[in-house]
Amino acid sequence: MSNSTTFWYASRATGVVALVLLSVVLALGIAVARQARVPGLPRFALTELHRNLSLLAVAFLSVHVLTAVLDTYVAIPLAAIVIPFASGYERLWLGLGAAALDLTAAMIVTSLLRGRMSRAAWRAVHLAVYLCWPLALVHSLFSDGDMRHGPLLGAAIACALAVAAAIARRLAGVARRPARAARVAAELAVAERGRAAAPASPAAHGSNR
Amino acid sequence: MTRPVAPAAPPGPPGAAGPGRLLPLAPGDGWDLRAHVARHGHPRYQGEALIVAARDAGLTGRGGAAFPAYVKLAAVARARGRKVAVANGAEGEPASAKDAALLRHAPHLVLDGLQLAAEAVGATEAFVYAGAGSAPWVERALAQRDGGVPVALVQAPPRFLAGQESALARRVAGGLALPAYAPERVSERGVHGRPTLVQNVETLAHLALIARHGPGWFRQAGTPAEPGTMLVTLNAGGQQRVAEAELGTPLAGLLPPGTAALIGGYHGTWLPMGTARALTLDNRSLRRHQAALGAGVLAVLPPGACGLAETARVARYLAAESAGQCGPCLNGLPRIAVAMAELAGPRPRPGTVADVRRWAGLVAGRGACHHPDGTVRLVASALAVFGDELARHGAGRCGADGGPALPLPPPGALPRCDEDWR
Repeated sequence: MSNSTTFWYASRATGVVALVLLSVVLALGIAVARQARVPGLPRFALTELHRNLSLLAVAFLSVHVLTAVLDTYVAIPLAAIVIPFASGYERLWLGLGAAALDLTAAMIVTSLLRGRMSRAAWRAVHLAVYLCWPLALVHSLFSDGDMRHGPLLGAAIACALAVAAAIARRLAGVARRPARAARVAAELAVAERGRAAAPASPAAHGSNR
Repeated sequence: MTRPVAPAAPPGPPGAAGPGRLLPLAPGDGWDLRAHVARHGHPRYQGEALIVAARDAGLTGRGGAAFPAYVKLAAVARARGRKVAVANGAEGEPASAKDAALLRHAPHLVLDGLQLAAEAVGATEAFVYAGAGSAPWVERALAQRDGGVPVALVQAPPRFLAGQESALARRVAGGLALPAYAPERVSERGVHGRPTLVQNVETLAHLALIARHGPGWFRQAGTPAEPGTMLVTLNAGGQQRVAEAELGTPLAGLLPPGTAALIGGYHGTWLPMGTARALTLDNRSLRRHQAALGAGVLAVLPPGACGLAETARVARYLAAESAGQCGPCLNGLPRIAVAMAELAGPRPRPGTVADVRRWAGLVAGRGACHHPDGTVRLVASALAVFGDELARHGAGRCGADGGPALPLPPPGALPRCDEDWR
């Protein structure tokens, strides 16, 4: 295996892993946003998992981009990493990848500066993920034919299904999201059911005014 | 009704250093601007000199935290850009009535203080943030004044947390009165992200008097460590009474007979009556018993009332008033409230006290605001003080024979939708 094909394969492999990780990170992020419970996992652990997997995805993404440029079989100019549509090779599909990378960078920077910016601004940038992930998927499918058949196509479809399912649950949740007061009342009701066997209430001392 | 007779602007103290600095001796005429000026005269300290005077006077915030007033004033004065000043009279605490009393009987002292504070920090707009009950009095007083920094009235929703500083900043900016997640200082980023001075209405009224009579005069009342007077709301026998007392006043003179005293309101601390009556009205004295003045709320548990039942009712109210934003508060307070209800009934299960203690430890310090901390402080002090009562309930008996003692809004007044926070 020549040096050149090493980079080629490394770029392909890390790209696939990065796409799978990004899909999982997006699904987890949606779960965090809708305050979902994953069985066996406390809520803070869900948040931590989302953060740590996103860092791992960034690592794979970096290697993916770096090896793609270092690979000399096709010449991809350095600038094409961040400037969309600056590559002569696969101009459109690589351009989408570059755009996705830029959005990812924006999300990383704002997340690192999260303590110093308003929650609304951070959230606005973070919503770019809904643009970033489809860009990455299309980039993966069309930059090269590998992902359009066989097991890799299966992986791409699985990623798409996972993300679609997460988004669908999020939208359904928004539609029937209980109002703040209802949430509080629901928790009170849950607590009361939990103590349903309790013998009496303070009502024995006189009714609430 | 006699109107106090005073010639124009005497730079001396009104009625010496005793209580009665804030509330008019003849209740009812403090809202009239001419009567107000006749009684209190015109301010001498302004701008930076007023901030220095507030520091030398040792004025602390009367909204509950007892934070030095000059620190906030200086912080906002140092900040850059357009600034906002807010008089906080939200008084979400059902057991407190002193802010409403002050806005009704001496609104011009508050508005003087707000104006002086706004000018001292360089604010270009000012707000009075007060509940619906105070709005007519504030509007009537505002209508008599002109000039200076423009002041607008923003109505505070009747929520327990409405006066929390970040909730206030959001409400004044037009949003819902919900505490912010991120611990931002409103002195840096408050209303519309602008540096915002938030002072309790009583703090501003004291400031208005310091501006007239100086720090030396202010220190003639109170203790060296905690000078001045403060308004207290005394809840006893189903009645609420607002009084002004010097800091350091023996609590024995303020508290009517009862079995226990709640110091500092619904985020406060229960003390056995014997302990409470031996203490004085200042944080230095109360701190030894893990109590604090808070916003000056004192409540007495009358003979024949059950402290556990009262605490259970208050805990349930506090759980229902949670903003429902932070997990520890949203999930923890209802469980604590329901467990307290069990303890308030006959023959609670043996593990329930341990459950409450464990949950209290889990929620304390975990919220974006102090709501969980204050709630578990109240509950923990009840478990400590009403140990005999716990034992009686364990045996299926309760010492109570009366109805509810502590004031709470009716269940129908609890928040039902987001608009109830506006």
